[in-house]
Amino acid sequence: MTITAGKPRTHNAPADLALGFLTGGVIGVSLTAFIGGCVVEKAPLIIIGLVLPAVYGFLFFLSTLPRRAREAAVVPRTALAVIESLEAVGGETSDVPVRFELSVAPDDAPAFRVEIRQDINLVELPDYRPRGVVVVEYPPDRPWKTRIVKRPTPEWEERAAVALVNSVPGPAMKSDSPVGCAGGLLTLFGLLLGAAAVLLLFRADLFYSYEGESGPSRRPSVSSSSSTTVVTSAMGTVTLGPGQSMLDEGELRKAVQSLTQGANKRRALTVVVQDRLLTVVFAPTGVEASGFDPRSLPYDRVPGLVEEARTGVGSPRSWQLTADGVTGSLTLRVVVTGDGGTETLEADGLGKVLRRSGS
Amino acid sequence: MGWDEFLVLWCAVWGAVALVGYGMSLAGVTKAQRTVWISGRIERVREPRHGGSRKGGISVVVSYRDPASGQQVTVTNDGERGEMITAAWEGREIGVSHPRGRPHAYRFSNSPEEPGHGLFWPGFALFLVYVGLVILAAVNWGWPWALIGFGGPWAVFAAAHLPRTVRAKNDRLARLAAMDTVQGRVVAVLKDVSVDQDDGHTWTTITPVVSFTTRDGTAVTAHCTSHLADPADAYGRDVTVHHTPADPADFTLDRAAEHRSEGQDVTFNVLVILVLAATAVAGVVML
Repeated sequence: MTITAGKPRTHNAPADLALGFLTGGVIGVSLTAFIGGCVVEKAPLIIIGLVLPAVYGFLFFLSTLPRRAREAAVVPRTALAVIESLEAVGGETSDVPVRFELSVAPDDAPAFRVEIRQDINLVELPDYRPRGVVVVEYPPDRPWKTRIVKRPTPEWEERAAVALVNSVPGPAMKSDSPVGCAGGLLTLFGLLLGAAAVLLLFRADLFYSYEGESGPSRRPSVSSSSSTTVVTSAMGTVTLGPGQSMLDEGELRKAVQSLTQGANKRRALTVVVQDRLLTVVFAPTGVEASGFDPRSLPYDRVPGLVEEARTGVGSPRSWQLTADGVTGSLTLRVVVTGDGGTETLEADGLGKVLRRSGS
Repeated sequence: MGWDEFLVLWCAVWGAVALVGYGMSLAGVTKAQRTVWISGRIERVREPRHGGSRKGGISVVVSYRDPASGQQVTVTNDGERGEMITAAWEGREIGVSHPRGRPHAYRFSNSPEEPGHGLFWPGFALFLVYVGLVILAAVNWGWPWALIGFGGPWAVFAAAHLPRTVRAKNDRLARLAAMDTVQGRVVAVLKDVSVDQDDGHTWTTITPVVSFTTRDGTAVTAHCTSHLADPADAYGRDVTVHHTPADPADFTLDRAAEHRSEGQDVTFNVLVILVLAATAVAGVVML
């Protein structure tokens, strides 16, 4: 008679696969966030890398607590078993893993046949031979978790020495089903997905900052953690980080100064400002008289001009300010695009509005 | 979130954990307080097999009276059963504990223990709060505060425990002087081989097992991991064993070496205090 206490859990159960995927994802996210955060010196990323695995581990601990408590409350049953077959399955240590096939004959429950793996010390291995009787212990609700008791109590030791245990026919239940490659692949997929998610969500922090910091050896650029500055002989650009705007107080002036400091005190032909991007086209060497000093722009008036142009375009989507000095006199053109159309506003070098037009 | 906010959150979380832990201890519901502590007695000692493993310690059969049923229970140290029994003799009192209502999950300890209050984890959580506060101080006020924060309190702590260390040394020296000397024999040499999965390096642990009989006739079997020359080839060797008459588990093969190491312990303690104090002073100077 075969025991019907339950079936062994298999590794390919959907819950196990989902858990593997989730664990892979958490590892991918936390590792990428931590390493990326260290490289670009972003505290939030480092913190995510540290806190996420801790929170995940804690939630995993809490979610498995009831199952573990239930399993721990089960009183294991001791029984005699006969070794049907055994095979050492490798190992370079003094304890070798051995695959046993056992017929277990409990006193007060149906007999069953089970296949288990257990580490046995090399010196003790000759004690285990086919048809030999051993003492085993198993949780009644999970008989596939049977294990051989190496140090039985004197009472069970005496019973095992004289007992005859009959073989149980039929297939043996296994303690572990073979681990499929699907689980491993899914975990790897989760890991890659987690890493990709961090790279995508924090691309501005990770790539723009990194690009700027690695720049000096390849191109004349300087960057900080909140903005990226690139300067060449013809033009210079400043890109602000997420959450910042050229309309923030002092931000535009600071950006222009970062392009015109030191040896870059050059005149400009055109200055284009967007919400997070400043572009300055420098006058060619030798014809600098035709341009204007980009530091002379009426910075304090820019937010007001943009605000003024915004009225009448509904919900604004983007704005651009162009300062042009090619023709000699400096003119400012503000274009705001919104749901209600486009509003254009022109002003002189002092920020005084000259004309406006809408479409 | 910046480092400041993270550290404040760190302290708040571990502070809350510590409070919950102390609350549970006051309510008497910690794991230690829900554990049943019993005194057990070794009924039989099985001699280790030469060349076998030290895992699980010396194989013993232990009996104890179950406080719930009043019946005598016989168990062995098979599998993961708490502290490893490294010295055994018939009649030795050892500690047995199990979670309330789960006598099958019993564990051994080398000596009968007093029930604890489960304050280890709350204390550890409090330690993490302290670490967070020191780092927060270092971030906000300058890194010398890290030297002051870590060096100062630990120097005070170590200094406060120095008298206890000296007292323990004197007690130990008195015990060494009063030891009985008997002849023993290495009855087995246990060998555990493990392989590092990363680089394939093989680690071998050799554990000689010595057997001796005290003057009152107690046959003791014990792991002997120090003061034995060439332990791998020690099987069958006769040795001189010095042991405390009241507790044969407290034994040594080289009394002089034990004597020297006790002096070194106190010197090491003093050095640690000096280093910690110097660290704190350096922090103050660098402010």
